[in-house]
Amino acid sequence: MEQKEKLSSKQMLNDLMADHYQSALDAKADGKLVAWATSIAPQELLTTMGINVVYPENQAAAIGARKEAQKFIDHSEGRGYSVDLCSYARVNFGYQQLKKSESQDIPMPDFIYSCSNICHTVLKWYENLAKELNIPLIIFDLPFNHTYDVQDHAAKYMKGQIEEAIKRLETISTKHYGKKVEFDHDKFKAVMEQSNATSQMWKDATMVAKAKPSPLNGFDLFNYMAGIVTNRGTKAGYEVFKAWKEELEAKAAAGLGPWKPGEEEKFRVMWDGIACWPYLGSTYKGLKNNGINMVTSTYPDSWTILYDNGDIEGMAKAYSGIYCNSNLQNGVDRITRIVNEYSLDGIVFHSNRSCKLLDFRQFEQQRQIEEKTGVATVLFDGDQTDPRAFSTEQYNTRIQAFLETLENKKEERRKG
Amino acid sequence: MADIKSLIAEFEKVALNPAKSAAELKKETGKKLIGMFPYHLPEEIVYAAGMLPVGMWGGQTEIKLSNKYLQSFCCSMIKANFEMGMNKTYQKVLDGVVMAAYCDTLKCICEDWKVAVTDMPLIAMYYPQNRKIAAAIDYMGAEFKKAQEQLEAIAGKKVTEADLEAAWEVYEAYRAESRKFVKLVAKMPKTLNATVRHLVIKAAWFMDKKVYTEKLAALNAAIEAAPAEEFNGKKVLVEGIMVEPIALLDAFVENDVCIIGDDLSHQSRMFRIEGRKEGTVYEKMAYRIADAYADPLLLDEKKEHGKELIDMVKEYGADGVVVCAMKFCDPEEYDYPIFKEELEAANIPVLYMEIEQQMESVGQYKTRIQAFAETLA
Amino acid sequence: MYFLGVDIGSSSSKAAIIDENKNILVRVARNIGTGTNGPTLVINQALEEVGITRDQINFTVATGYGRVTFTQADKQITEISCHGKGVAHLVPGAHTIIDIGGQDAKVIRLNDKGNVDNFLMNEKCAAGTGRFLEVMARILNCGLEDLSGLAKESTEEIEISNTCTVFAESEVISQLAQGTAKADVAQGANNSITSRVAGLARRIGITPVVVMTGGVAKNDAVVRCMEKQIGYDITVAPDPQTVGALGAALFALETFNKK
Repeated sequence: MEQKEKLSSKQMLNDLMADHYQSALDAKADGKLVAWATSIAPQELLTTMGINVVYPENQAAAIGARKEAQKFIDHSEGRGYSVDLCSYARVNFGYQQLKKSESQDIPMPDFIYSCSNICHTVLKWYENLAKELNIPLIIFDLPFNHTYDVQDHAAKYMKGQIEEAIKRLETISTKHYGKKVEFDHDKFKAVMEQSNATSQMWKDATMVAKAKPSPLNGFDLFNYMAGIVTNRGTKAGYEVFKAWKEELEAKAAAGLGPWKPGEEEKFRVMWDGIACWPYLGSTYKGLKNNGINMVTSTYPDSWTILYDNGDIEGMAKAYSGIYCNSNLQNGVDRITRIVNEYSLDGIVFHSNRSCKLLDFRQFEQQRQIEEKTGVATVLFDGDQTDPRAFSTEQYNTRIQAFLETLENKKEERRKG
Repeated sequence: MADIKSLIAEFEKVALNPAKSAAELKKETGKKLIGMFPYHLPEEIVYAAGMLPVGMWGGQTEIKLSNKYLQSFCCSMIKANFEMGMNKTYQKVLDGVVMAAYCDTLKCICEDWKVAVTDMPLIAMYYPQNRKIAAAIDYMGAEFKKAQEQLEAIAGKKVTEADLEAAWEVYEAYRAESRKFVKLVAKMPKTLNATVRHLVIKAAWFMDKKVYTEKLAALNAAIEAAPAEEFNGKKVLVEGIMVEPIALLDAFVENDVCIIGDDLSHQSRMFRIEGRKEGTVYEKMAYRIADAYADPLLLDEKKEHGKELIDMVKEYGADGVVVCAMKFCDPEEYDYPIFKEELEAANIPVLYMEIEQQMESVGQYKTRIQAFAETLA
Repeated sequence: MYFLGVDIGSSSSKAAIIDENKNILVRVARNIGTGTNGPTLVINQALEEVGITRDQINFTVATGYGRVTFTQADKQITEISCHGKGVAHLVPGAHTIIDIGGQDAKVIRLNDKGNVDNFLMNEKCAAGTGRFLEVMARILNCGLEDLSGLAKESTEEIEISNTCTVFAESEVISQLAQGTAKADVAQGANNSITSRVAGLARRIGITPVVVMTGGVAKNDAVVRCMEKQIGYDITVAPDPQTVGALGAALFALETFNKK
C-alpha cells in the first residue's frame, strides 16, 4: 500500500462513520443480513456472525444534531406516540416509516437486537419495531442492579440469553442465506479480544483529559462516541482511538488546553446525561464563553466493556454493570471517583425529558455528590433530540448562576 | 338481591377506605402486612410466611415531599406511593414493602426509596423480561428464594414447601373466582356498574385472600342465581394500568356505560393467567410470568396486545374500548399506537384518555365518556 | 315550531333557534360563560330577535362545558356531537372538524352520513388551546381579536418552540426583550398553537373537507397557519362560534320528532 499522509483522528473518525453507514447500506443492497441494535448491546455475537449492524440511537443523535428531528417526531406523534416518550424512539419510529433522512440514512433491519442494560424503554421501543416490521426480536434482558455489584444469578440468566441468542442468530442466518450458518467460537474469541482492546483504547484516550489543562474539549467526546458505539468490535475503531489518544497526549505534553491558545480553561466540569443534540452549539458556547470546559462525562466508562476473553459470565457482568444499570450508591461512587480523578470543579446535570431512568435518580445523586465532593453543580431542563423541550435563555441563566458558584468556591479555596 | 347488595356493601366498605381497612385487617388477624407495589410480585410467599400482602396502587394524596426526588413528569400512581412512603402513611400499617423494577421509573423509585424511606424493610426484586427461556425460570427461582429469606426475617418464621403449596392453592382459588366474577358482570350490568365492579375487585388488595375468595364465591353464586338484568346502555372494555379516581368511574355510570371487561394491570392482568399444575411452587409462580400474554409490563415478542383486545371485544360483546392511559407510563404509551391501529382496522371504536390519579376535576372526562357513548349510539 | 340550542362554554355562551324545517332563525354569542347569567342573557336575546317567548320553544338541548349544571334544558348532549351535527348541516361533505376553544381543543371525524365517527381532545396542557393565545395576547399587550391583524404584518419567521405554555411565555418575553417585532411573535404564537392541534388532527387522520369552528376560527392568520400545517384547505364554518349551539338546536328538533 502506498504511504499516505497521516490523517488526523477526526478525519479518521469521519471516514470510520462514513464507512460504517455505507457498508451497512451496501450489505443490505447485496441481500445480506442487517440488524438494528441498542448502543451498548453485546455486538460481539453479531460481529462474529459477520452481520452488519446499525444503531438507531446513533442515527437519531445525528438527526437531532442536524436539526432534522422535528419532522420525524411529528410523524410519530401523529400516529399516537406520546410526547412524553423517549425522543430517540420518536425519531426512530418516524424514520422507520418515512425511510429518508437528510442527515444520515440507514438500511432497514432484518431483525432487532436489543439490550435492556441502558433502559427498559429500548425493550418497548424495539418490541414495537419488530412488530411493525414483522421481523425477529432478539433481546438481552440485564436485570437492574439494586445491589452494588452484579449478582451471580443475574449473570447466569444473561449467559442463558447469550446461548439462546447464538442459536437464534444461527437460525436467522441459515434461513436468510438458504444454507447452514454456524457460530464460529474461535472467531468469537478473536472478536472478544478486539472488543476489549478497542474499549481499553477508548478509555485510555478519554483519560488523557485528566491533564490540567485538559487537552480535550469534552464536546468532542460526543463526536468520538459515535465511533465507540458503532465500532467497539473493530480494529478500525481501535486505530481511531489510538490516533486520538496520541494527539491528546501530544497536546497535553505541550501544555495545551482544549481550545485555541489564549482561551483559558478556568473551570473543569463533567456532564451527566446525554447531550442536547439539537442545541450542541448553544450548550457548548454557554460553557466555553465562561471558560468552563466539559472535561468528561459518564460516557467513557459506559463503553468500557472489559472482561476476560472467553468468560461469558464475565462478559455478561461487564454489560450489566454499566452506569445506567447500576444502583444509586454505585453511581454516586463512580461520579465521585470521576470528580477526584479529573480534578473537577463542578458538574452539569442534564435533566433530560427523554430519559426517565437517569432523571428520577438525578436529584438525589446531585445532593449526595455535592455533599461528598463539595463541587458546584447545576441542573438544567432539556432533551436529547426534541427541540421543543429546551430553552437557550433558561440554560444560559442557569450556567451563569453556576459560574458564580464556581467562582465563589474557587475564591473560598484560595482563601483557605 | 338483598344478598347481592349486602355482599357488595362489604367489598365497597373495604375498598373505599384502604388505610382504615388495612389497619383493621392487621388488628383482626394479628398478622403482619407487607405492601406490594404494582405489578406481579410473589404474594404467595408473603402469604406462606404467615403475613398478608396489601396492594399499593397509589391513591389520593397531596404530592409534596416526593418532589425532592422526582421531576414533574413521573407517573402519578408511583409518585403517590413514594409520597405515602415519605409522609409515613404506610408505616402506620405495613411491616415491609416489596417492589420490582418493571419499568425505568420503578428502578429509580426503588433506589430513591432506600434513601427516603429508611424506617421500613424494603425487598427489591427484578422480574425477567426474556421470560420464557429456561434461564429466566431459574433466575426467577433465585429471586424468589432471596425474597423469601428477607420475608422470613420479617415474619420471624421459616417457610416450608407445604406452606408454599397451601398459599399457592389459596391464590389459584382467588384467581379462578375473580375470573368468574368479571364474566358475571354481563349478567347484571346495572348492579355491577363501573364503580361497583371496580370496588369489588379492588377489595381483594386489602383482605386476606382466603376470606376474600369465600365472600366473592358467595357473591358469584348469588349473581348466578339472580335473574339477568335488562340493560340498554353501552358496554365497553377498559384498558390501562388502573381506573381511578372513583369520580372517573362514576362518569361511566352516569352515562349508562358499563365496564363489561377490563385489560387493567390492577385487575384482570393480575388474575387472568391460570397456573400450571406441575412443578414446584417457585416454578409454577415463574410459569405464570412466562405464560402471561399481552401485558405491557412484560416483553411480548409477538406483541399481541391489539389481538387480545380485539378478541376480548368479541368475547364480551363490547361496543368499544376506552383507553385510560396512565400519564407518563412508558409501557402503556408504547403499546397504544400499535393496538390503536389494529383496533381501528377492526372497526372497533376507541376512546383515548390520559389520566392521572390526583385529578382536580373530571369534568372534561365526563364529556368525553358521554360523547363516546353518543358516537356508539 | 321552535327549537332552541344553548352552548355554554367556559368563557362564552351561545344560543341558536331553528324552526321545524331546520331554518336558522337566529344565532347569538356573548363572552360570558358558565356559572354566570350568560346563558340566560343569550337565550333572552335570541328569543327577542325571533320575536317569541320562552314557552313557545318546543324543545331545548344544552351543550358545552356548563350543560350539566344548566337546568332549563330538556336534554343535554356533548359539544362533540353538537359540533358534528352543526357542521354536517352547514358544510355538506365535511369529514374533519377542528375546534379550538378556550379550554379545549378537539378534532372530530365525521363519517359519510355526517355522524361523529371518532374524536380526540387535548390533554391537560394549555399549549394547544385558546388559552395559549390569550396568554400571548396579554404579553403582547393587545386584544385577542387583534392578534390576527398583527400576525399578518409579520415579516420574519420566529419559532416559539416550547411545548409548555409557561415555558413559552418566558421564551416570548425574552424574545421581546431582544427586540423581536410584536407581529413576528404573534405569528410565532399562531404557528405554535396550530402545530399542537395539527398533531391531534394527524392522530385521528385528516380527510377533507376540513372545517374549523370555535372563536379562534375567526382569527384568519391561525386558519392559514393550520392549512399549512395539515396540508389541506380549511373551510371556516359560517359564524364559527355558534356551530355548537346550532347543532344542539338540530338535536332538539330531531329528539322532538322522535317522540
